[in-house]
Amino acid sequence: MATSREIVSSEYKYGFHDEVTYLEETKHGLTRETVEEISRIKGEPEWMLEFRLRAYEHFLSRPMPQWGGDLNQIDLDKIVYYRKPSQGEEKSWDDVPDKIKKTFERLGIPEAERKFLSGVGAQYDSEVVYHSVREELTKIGVVFMGTDEGLRQYPELFRKYFATVVPPEDNKFAALNSAVWSGGSFVYVPKGVEVPLPLQAYFRINAENTGQFERTLIIVDEGAKVHYIEGCTAPIYTTDALHAAVVEVIALPGSKVRYTTIQNWSNDVYNLVTKRAHAHAHSTVEWIDANTGSKLTMKYPSIYLRGEGATAEVISVAVAGRGQHQDTGAKAIHLAPNTRSRIISKSISKDGGRTTYRGQLKVAPGATGVVASVRCDALLLDEGSRSDTYPYIDIQEDDTTMTHEATVGKISQDQVFYLMSRGLTENEATNLVVQGFLEVFTKELPMEYAIEFNRLVKLEMEGSLG
Amino acid sequence: MTAAEGDAAAAAPSARAVAPARQAPTDLTLSFVNEATVRAVAASRGDPDWLLADRLEGLRAFEALPIETNPLYTTYVDLRNAHLAAARPYTGPAAVGRGATAAKLLPAGAAAYAEIVENQVVALVLSAEAREAGVILETLADLQARDPELMRRLVEGGCALPENDKLAQMTRALWSQGLLLHVPDGVRLERPIVLRWAVGAPDTALFSRTIISLGEDAEVSIVEEQVASSARGSASTEAQAFFAGTTEAVVGAGSTLSFAGLQDFSLRQIAFQHRSAVLARGATVRWALAQLGCRVVRSRIDNRLEGDGSTVEQAEIIFGSTDQLFDLTSYTRHVGRDSTGNLLSKGVLADRSRAYMKGLATIEHSAHGTDSFLGEFGMLLSKQSRSVAIPSLEIDQPDCRRVAHASAVGPIDETQLFYLETRGLDPHEARKAIVLGYLEPVVARVPLESAQARLRELLEAKWDASAVSRPTAAAVA
Repeated sequence: MATSREIVSSEYKYGFHDEVTYLEETKHGLTRETVEEISRIKGEPEWMLEFRLRAYEHFLSRPMPQWGGDLNQIDLDKIVYYRKPSQGEEKSWDDVPDKIKKTFERLGIPEAERKFLSGVGAQYDSEVVYHSVREELTKIGVVFMGTDEGLRQYPELFRKYFATVVPPEDNKFAALNSAVWSGGSFVYVPKGVEVPLPLQAYFRINAENTGQFERTLIIVDEGAKVHYIEGCTAPIYTTDALHAAVVEVIALPGSKVRYTTIQNWSNDVYNLVTKRAHAHAHSTVEWIDANTGSKLTMKYPSIYLRGEGATAEVISVAVAGRGQHQDTGAKAIHLAPNTRSRIISKSISKDGGRTTYRGQLKVAPGATGVVASVRCDALLLDEGSRSDTYPYIDIQEDDTTMTHEATVGKISQDQVFYLMSRGLTENEATNLVVQGFLEVFTKELPMEYAIEFNRLVKLEMEGSLG
Repeated sequence: MTAAEGDAAAAAPSARAVAPARQAPTDLTLSFVNEATVRAVAASRGDPDWLLADRLEGLRAFEALPIETNPLYTTYVDLRNAHLAAARPYTGPAAVGRGATAAKLLPAGAAAYAEIVENQVVALVLSAEAREAGVILETLADLQARDPELMRRLVEGGCALPENDKLAQMTRALWSQGLLLHVPDGVRLERPIVLRWAVGAPDTALFSRTIISLGEDAEVSIVEEQVASSARGSASTEAQAFFAGTTEAVVGAGSTLSFAGLQDFSLRQIAFQHRSAVLARGATVRWALAQLGCRVVRSRIDNRLEGDGSTVEQAEIIFGSTDQLFDLTSYTRHVGRDSTGNLLSKGVLADRSRAYMKGLATIEHSAHGTDSFLGEFGMLLSKQSRSVAIPSLEIDQPDCRRVAHASAVGPIDETQLFYLETRGLDPHEARKAIVLGYLEPVVARVPLESAQARLRELLEAKWDASAVSRPTAAAVA
């Protein structure tokens, strides 16, 4: 058996770094002037500047969270809060600067696009530089563009929903994002429209000390249906980068939204994300969420079930290796009658990594006939790894049906032994057991992603086993 | 001895004279917790210097600590229904009443019996069998007089009280009543020991400690009954009474402690309970705890499985009605190898009652081969009732036999109801059978037959008294 040290040598797959000339960037650190400058560069309406400043004030007044992961090493003064790598939005792939294009090529975006993707939004540092929406999507009225562009082109729709799901006062990092947000995706799916293929956006951080504060706003109108996918990779750096995104999803009556994330930031990134959805009557919201990268992730995708008969599902996976802490979970807040939720969480800790499940299930007075379940399973692969589970279950209606189960364990030696008796090596057998453990997640992914994800897990496992 | 003594207690304005001020959930309305009161309590008991110093240390910790130190639970603290501004602590050692040691006081089937009414020890009696075996059951005042060295060894440093708990440290500072139970090596008592507390005089506060020390290969079972005293005050008064009590058990290698706690104080009682057990190699502790009474009860259990192969089995039931709040936390720390923790909480909540069930199992790196289960279950009988379950795990050692927790909340199961009705029970009887059956696993663990029967009676009475038990008028007719 190899020691846990060997995994460390397995190089980070996406750890390359291209030199890019930035057109505009703010100074290090955050001041009122930085916020004003960002707004000025973007040429935003007055209300957005006011919103940013209100958020900035709240950010200053709010203490650093003292729970979850260790946030003490984040140096907020060293971060560049905004940089803009190229001018405006690019409509065609050919217009994207070569260096940026090269980075994307290494990530396989064009290839993926050719095959089946409806649209690509790729964030290079703080601005969306490339976006393409298939013609048929534009024809049926689907809006898929950078959030800055969304604010310019759809000011009324934007203002109606922006920050209604995650107000700046929600938490310190939502306030930070609200003050300095840049980029992200703006999606609108009109009434009754079913988007046939997933919308996809890649996000990347590509400079030392660059904070990424993307802001995604997804509005799915009545009876519409969409699947949005984000995948993240970032180059390795020695100093810590911060990623503080806010994602807001509004699922209007009868709509269906699935939001899939594969988070694979490099192991020096602080990933502090607020993701929340409002599910209106008879809508369905699903968060499919994998976290394998980053130094510390604190992310608890939430669904507020606001309308009768709404359904929520969260399937999340976390893998924590050496030096990593995945503090993740899910929240389902039942505010309306006959709503349903299901949370499934799977985590793997190895090489001294730490996973935490932190979840909340709440049934408010008036939310009668709720059916809810929470299931958390954790695997600890070796000595020194750690797993914590903190579920909050707060039920205030007597006809709620709620079940919750959690288990923590190691890889079953019986299963490994059985597979080895069928001719697999120990490494293969262990891999198969791990893949089986994660299957509830993997099977929800589009095929290409499932393959990539399995490859990623295998890579993570290599060296640490066998 | 009355509560009105304790002249050191700060004169607090009567909270009832004016409209009650808005109280934050974490605000404590106790006004007497200060150095003057601590010194008065120590002086009235004739405490040695080390004990006064120990109390003052407790007071300093009390002052420094927030009401809830665990950030996991800060949103689930609610002391708004505790109105104790007028409460006065009992001081001085409780004298053992005349005739309290008479053998006839011993209940049938018990090995020893202690009864404390308000601040008075009215019974303190050991069976001949227990006395001959070397079992000691005495007040801490008597222990202080008999063996000051042992007293100091058992009490100094807060014994097994949690250092980071504000309320436990308050009891450490202010306790005036206390009991020691010691069971020597190799003594296995077949009959249970009964400890009975009757308190509830309006505007009083009683702080007490119960220290249990089991030698090696010893065995004892304890039934602790906490009931309302007859000193209730007039029916019109809303004045509350306050009780803070501990159970601090040190269980030697190979020993077994079975502890059944039955809390049935009046609905004007506010109680804080701290129970802790430190287990040596191969030791077993079985907690069977029933929470029925009190307006607000805040309880904390600390199990420390230090010894290899030690086991804790904990079962706790709640039956809530009116606007009762049951705020129950338990910490179970696995330190030794191959230890077992099996923890179960079940709450039945009627009317506007609430239960917070907060359990945390921690498996330290040294705790290879741990088997840990934590279950928190709620049955809601009314629309206004509320159940909060936070069953948490912290695991630092992957080599475990089993680590799991489970939780479920729901109403009475309709299929069970239907089944019982097909067997001839009317809906009212069927509901009652299901609710009592839900709690029965804990009832069955109470060691003393008579105490078990009494608990069943109390549960039944509480069911019959609660609004949920009554079928609609039409159904009755």
